[in-house]
Amino acid sequence: MRSAILLLLLSVVAPLRAQTVAPAKVTASVVRVFGPGVRVDTLVTSRGPILRAVRGDTLLGFATVREVRGKDQPITILVAVDRSGRILDVDILIYRESYGGEVAYESWRRQFRGRTVADSIRIGRPIRNISGATISTHAVTLGVRAALDDLATLRRAGTLP
Amino acid sequence: MPRLLSTLLLAFLIAAPLQGQTQSSTTVGGYGEIIFARPNGGTASADVARVVVYLAHTFDERLAFRSELEVEHARIEAEGSAGEVAFEQAYLDYRLSDRFTLRSGLVLVPVGIINETHEPPTFNGVGRPAADHDLIPATWREIGIGALGNFGGGWSWRAYVMNGLKAEGFSAAEGIRAGRQEGQEASFAGVGVTGRLEWARPGLKIGLSGFHGGSADTNSAVGTGAFGAPVTVLAADARWESGPWTARALLVNVAVPDAGKINAAFGGTVAERSRGGYVEGAYDLLHLLAPASTARLDAFTRVEKVNTQARMPTATAADESLDRTIVTSGLTFRPLSTVAFKADYQVLRTASGVGEGETFDLGIGFSF
Repeated sequence: MRSAILLLLLSVVAPLRAQTVAPAKVTASVVRVFGPGVRVDTLVTSRGPILRAVRGDTLLGFATVREVRGKDQPITILVAVDRSGRILDVDILIYRESYGGEVAYESWRRQFRGRTVADSIRIGRPIRNISGATISTHAVTLGVRAALDDLATLRRAGTLP
Repeated sequence: MPRLLSTLLLAFLIAAPLQGQTQSSTTVGGYGEIIFARPNGGTASADVARVVVYLAHTFDERLAFRSELEVEHARIEAEGSAGEVAFEQAYLDYRLSDRFTLRSGLVLVPVGIINETHEPPTFNGVGRPAADHDLIPATWREIGIGALGNFGGGWSWRAYVMNGLKAEGFSAAEGIRAGRQEGQEASFAGVGVTGRLEWARPGLKIGLSGFHGGSADTNSAVGTGAFGAPVTVLAADARWESGPWTARALLVNVAVPDAGKINAAFGGTVAERSRGGYVEGAYDLLHLLAPASTARLDAFTRVEKVNTQARMPTATAADESLDRTIVTSGLTFRPLSTVAFKADYQVLRTASGVGEGETFDLGIGFSF
């Protein structure tokens, strides 16, 4: 229900912001990762907006939307973590390049799940590359790394629980 | 009410920082390779093999232009120079959805590995494999229109209709290579269709690809119709990586069933069938020597077979010096995935023993 309200509001806002990541895409991604019935609000932090996902009175986790640079276009990604900072999933919201779209494959994104800021998250150790998509796999992996670092910083600063 | 406000805020906060990025923008990139070669008992030489300027423009979220303008051998002169300036690619992409894109213009034929992914840091060895020169004539590009997309489960595809080849350029040593039109006032007397089906998961990519097109052009003695004097290229390729190990393999078959007519018309000794491929394995020495490093030092060996005279037209003898086995071993140091310093030693053997040799090569390659 709440996510339906969110969706409605976002779809009202969307036409005003024609050339952006469609907010409906963010909503769909958040609902997919945290499950139906998720309620989301935004925390304005020193590391940019952080989405907080709640169901009822239960905190489910956080998500951050960011852009990394591919060969020559930005790749818009969403990184979602549970309340302990463990990655629930990574989503490719918008991919704009001609080649390298394999980073959106579920089999590749799955490699990040369960990892925390304490883990090595690097191409080759242990995130496996996909040939022909090397620039994009490096870019997204660095973006996920940066997202976890930001979330950990906010946690240390007490901004996040 | 506060929740409603925060939700609205969310929408704007997500939207705002992303805005500028999706408006039109022009970007520049490039790649290049500079090589040094010393044949055993011959004269050493060095060459700026190619420097390529990548120029792209994004009109909006759906429409983009991408091009590569290449200068080969450092410079061109008015007369008698080896240099060349050429567009390697110049096409428009029209993204209709996340899963479907229309592509038109001067496009790369999606056959094999190197033809589409040819940036020097992506492959081991100073020179490109011979199979990607004499069997698949990389960088092979023609004018065409088509589409690409993916349908989930790791599968993706590309398919284009394009101009055909010109049999006049076919040769014994380099097969269909000089039959490419490369977008220069291309004749559409012949038509080609090409496609690629690919499956990928982390660490593995497998591709099946092909080209089928006419090469008769306007010479009715060679063939008639859009697919007159047909050329059929079929290729299978695989790329695998796991920790310090990487491997790749390619198999190619090129069929020119009307080679006899082509030879009668143009005086060459083109084969009805050319075939070959390679297997390459590499190990990252830094994985052992400096595990914390993000650089790679790949020691590799590639074993390659290329025979551009595999089956000859009736009463035409095969030139067995073109039945080649090439073994290349060397090192590729990559401080970044986009910069490579290369060294290798290449041994060429032929079925007839003629034209054999060894070469020591050094090269640098980069892309950005």
